[in-house]
Amino acid sequence: MMLWTAAGLRAQVNAPILSGGVQFLSSTVGGNTFFQPAIAPVLVVPLGEHWLVESRADLRGFIAHDNGSTGPYSGQFIASLEYLQLDYIANSHLTMTVGRFLTPFNIYDERFTPFWIRNLQDAPIIFPIGTRTTGSNNGFMFRGVIAAQKAWEVNYTAYFSVLSTTENLQSGRTAGGRMGVFLPLAGVEVGVSYQRFLQDVNYNSVGTYFTWQPPPIPLDVRSEYAHSPAGQGYWLEAAYHFSKTRNDTSRLGRLQGVARIQQFFKGTPIPGSDLPSVDVNRFDFGLNYYLPHDVRVNGSYGRQYSSAGNANVWEAQISYRFLFPALPGVFK
Amino acid sequence: MRITFFAVSALALFAICANVSGQSQSQAPAPPPAKKHAAAAKSTTADQDQKEGERRFFANCGRCHNPPESISPIEVNAVLRHMRVRAMLSAEDEELIRKYLAP
Repeated sequence: MMLWTAAGLRAQVNAPILSGGVQFLSSTVGGNTFFQPAIAPVLVVPLGEHWLVESRADLRGFIAHDNGSTGPYSGQFIASLEYLQLDYIANSHLTMTVGRFLTPFNIYDERFTPFWIRNLQDAPIIFPIGTRTTGSNNGFMFRGVIAAQKAWEVNYTAYFSVLSTTENLQSGRTAGGRMGVFLPLAGVEVGVSYQRFLQDVNYNSVGTYFTWQPPPIPLDVRSEYAHSPAGQGYWLEAAYHFSKTRNDTSRLGRLQGVARIQQFFKGTPIPGSDLPSVDVNRFDFGLNYYLPHDVRVNGSYGRQYSSAGNANVWEAQISYRFLFPALPGVFK
Repeated sequence: MRITFFAVSALALFAICANVSGQSQSQAPAPPPAKKHAAAAKSTTADQDQKEGERRFFANCGRCHNPPESISPIEVNAVLRHMRVRAMLSAEDEELIRKYLAP
């Protein structure tokens, strides 16, 4: 009986969860308006003490005028599997991953692609650098902390990915890695990334990132620089909660102001690089409001300058982050 | 008559026992000072762990997102395992953040 109870408790502790977000996003770019309702379920299944299966999909509609800014609306459905990976956590120095995973180049792809987390809804212009072909890779990855003390930590990620043209599971043949230094007491993290693209035109992409969260102040500063033969650029974002502490749930404390600047400089065009063929400068300002029950509303305005034409970018979004046991009946 | 006598006696005995038991409970000696201090120290350690867990949450997980508004003890293990891979948390980080998220 005791063993049975212990087994039951263990099953509860290792309960799988279903998390993720649901959103409605309205964007107006250069006078053309489109809408993106989306749901991104995240499934996490712990297995024993060291194993983990985790997955995230993105299911979204894209609704726009048939003729740019006029005519009736029509929509299409887009589905993608962003990751489905099996992890073995050997210890804090080594986690081995096999399957489909987010490309660990710089930090945006792994950390800020969930639409309920990112501060501004548009991905940076340089996002395609180092994340070809889809931001996800099929292969294996090693990651962990090389060494850590109370005031510092050095971490690494290394991976290899194979070519896949299967629908919704596309991946490029690439190899790369990332190394970062994290100073938790100062709230500073810096790192460098490298990727070798190993199909069609072989080339290198390199990048560097910086984040700063001064512990007493609810300020987040993030930045990335990336370079590839197809172009190079950077983005710098600052976000500030109007409060004295990070977990302030007062009316004003739930409000967050965001600003981002970015510049892109074109290089030699590479087919499929998804980068602009002209130089681009852009700034964005936004406000996020974190409502109770993990609901967030936000709005932003951006202005993009390029030789292909300047454009205003308006965006408004409401999102809800959910989290519950994946098999609720079993664990009651 | 005899039955009534036994019933009354039994009730009286029960009442006496209950009273003595109550008195013995109420008169139970206070825990020795050493035990009191141990309990207080345990509580302080738990508070310190929770505080340290909060600090580590904001230092690691908080680099990207706010804490979830509520999280149940059933969900917390999977969430932390996920974050252990994403944010490269150590086993100690995981344990302390668990104490902060689902004490």
